[in-house]
Amino acid sequence: MRKMPLKPIIEVLVILSLVCAVPLSVPAQQANFPKVKEYRIERSVPPEAVACIECHRATTPGLFADWAKSRHANANISCLDCHLVQPGDTDIAKGHDQYYSRSDLPYGEGKYKVPIASIVTPKDCSRCHPDEVTQYSRSKHANTIEIIWKLDPWLNKGMNSDNERKTGCLNCHGTVIKIDESGTIDPGTWPNAGVGRINADGSKGACTSCHTRHRFSVAEARMPEACDQCHLGPDHPQIEIYEESKHGTMYHAYKSEYNFNAAGGTWTAGVDYRAPTCAACHMSGSGKVLTSHDVTERLSWETQAPLTVRPENFKPFPSKSDWQTERNKMKAICQQCHGDSWINDFYDGFDKAVEEYNEVYFKPVKKKMDELYEKGLVDKTKYFDEHLELQYYELWHHEGRRARMGAMMMAPDYAWWHGFYEVKNRYNAFMEEADHLLKTGEKAYIWSPYPNATGNTKRPVEVFPE
Amino acid sequence: MKEAGTESKGEKPALGRAIKPIILIVIGILIAFPLFSISYYTMVRTSTPAFCASCHEIKPAVRAWSESTHVNNAVGVVVDCMDCHLPAPQDTFDFFFAKSYHGIKDVVIHFFVKKYDREKARQSAYAAFDNDQCQKCHRNLINMPNSRGAMLAHRSVIYARAGYEKKCVDCHYDLVHNDKIAVMYRQYRKLPYQAKGLRVEKLGI
Repeated sequence: MRKMPLKPIIEVLVILSLVCAVPLSVPAQQANFPKVKEYRIERSVPPEAVACIECHRATTPGLFADWAKSRHANANISCLDCHLVQPGDTDIAKGHDQYYSRSDLPYGEGKYKVPIASIVTPKDCSRCHPDEVTQYSRSKHANTIEIIWKLDPWLNKGMNSDNERKTGCLNCHGTVIKIDESGTIDPGTWPNAGVGRINADGSKGACTSCHTRHRFSVAEARMPEACDQCHLGPDHPQIEIYEESKHGTMYHAYKSEYNFNAAGGTWTAGVDYRAPTCAACHMSGSGKVLTSHDVTERLSWETQAPLTVRPENFKPFPSKSDWQTERNKMKAICQQCHGDSWINDFYDGFDKAVEEYNEVYFKPVKKKMDELYEKGLVDKTKYFDEHLELQYYELWHHEGRRARMGAMMMAPDYAWWHGFYEVKNRYNAFMEEADHLLKTGEKAYIWSPYPNATGNTKRPVEVFPE
Repeated sequence: MKEAGTESKGEKPALGRAIKPIILIVIGILIAFPLFSISYYTMVRTSTPAFCASCHEIKPAVRAWSESTHVNNAVGVVVDCMDCHLPAPQDTFDFFFAKSYHGIKDVVIHFFVKKYDREKARQSAYAAFDNDQCQKCHRNLINMPNSRGAMLAHRSVIYARAGYEKKCVDCHYDLVHNDKIAVMYRQYRKLPYQAKGLRVEKLGI
């Protein structure tokens, strides 16, 4: 018998393999190529805005998808509504112009060119949300740069470097944005979404601290996770305190039932949420109390200050209200779920904790510290370069805050073990060391040279005009 | 005539009695009409932007206005200085006195105050502006389907919550008297008009 012809066999094999491959390749494609979010021009949008969307859909698809899911997209609010600048504005991102002469990009043509700013500020947001911005602008959030420059020795004595500040302190507190002639943002001030950021247009803060880009969600800002990006750690562990409190425990157990998307002015304790989140007590409307974007409005003690004072007596930034009014407001919020004796007795414990901290711990330590400075046993020129200065600082700035804040938000571990227990130990160690110097007349050892104490000590003129 | 009998008691005839008031009225008209005409004519003459520009302090403002969209638009509407800066002429009393007051004040300042501070004048103009001034023409501010943001912001002006009252010029402060590099035509605006947001002065604490 002659050899079988090869050609038909190969043909059959090729056809078979194709037939088999087709059904196999379909699920493979679905897994590897998820459907891209679509965008059809169905509502009136200026062609320049279409260009923004189509180009960013290709170049930064995550950013586009985020916006596409936002309430802004629902309302046909496009990129330009926030990013467009008017002629004469100082924050025009000139570097962006180059993308309008890129034939490899969708809509990369000169006819779509518009001046834009990369940083959108509360002033821009005020075009549509003026009352929210007005409230925010008077909060301690918006004015935190002014406050820390009036208080903080790290800044005033230049004890850390500019980059330690940029990546640390100012990441939350906010940088003073600088933009040069060519429209480039100074990398020492950017990226930043700090609550007290000083913007090129003179406005303060960043709405995107809590309503992150490009979703700008009210639901997100109502969750404690919006606050915990800054309010954590040894010096202000509000989130850890919340987690430990009954409110936090209930939030974690029931958050899947929470209706975070309730319309503004309708978010209701006991209906939309079981236990409050940070926003529910500090910002949201509740009962007859109206919503405020001034997050520090309802406070009755400054528990972060060295000596606890009433907000209207807080010298770096005195509140315009009085503590009794604000406490009554906060009590009205408690009343959504609690009875009067519960509320009053809770405040009784908080007030006592504040009083004990002030009188028993802080004032004697402060007095001793002043005496050491007066006698020249501790050197005043720098800060943090002597052990006692660090002890003093941590007593109020770390455990002293934890004790007060822990008592305020009913987290026993923070009120006691991370709080007053540590305050007590610190107090004793401080007094022992201080008394030793006073008795012997020995001067405190100075850590010199102090590492990386290179930061600028000049107050920003944008906040403190000369 | 019966009346003639009563006249005989020493009283003048009716025509005779009326003659004095008639003469007085005629004299009154002869004096008042030219006076009225003069003041009316003066009001008309002094209500034009050209008249406002006759003070050199005001010239830059008039120039900026003439280049703005309040002059240059497809419908041909021109909004004069007094349309924004004075009460409506039909509120005769308010109009007359506001106009006279400003006229006299400007003349006094011109002669007795050396330097004209444009920025200060701008701030006091913002402070003096009532929303009614703008809303004489801009009345439909809520239904703007292409401007969803403005719909939201305008609600907070028209139905302002206590403590959050705003003036139109708090956001629309850069509309007319800004220095431009070219004449602005509303119909040739490349991009949609946007208010700039609340003035920083309004955000102060």
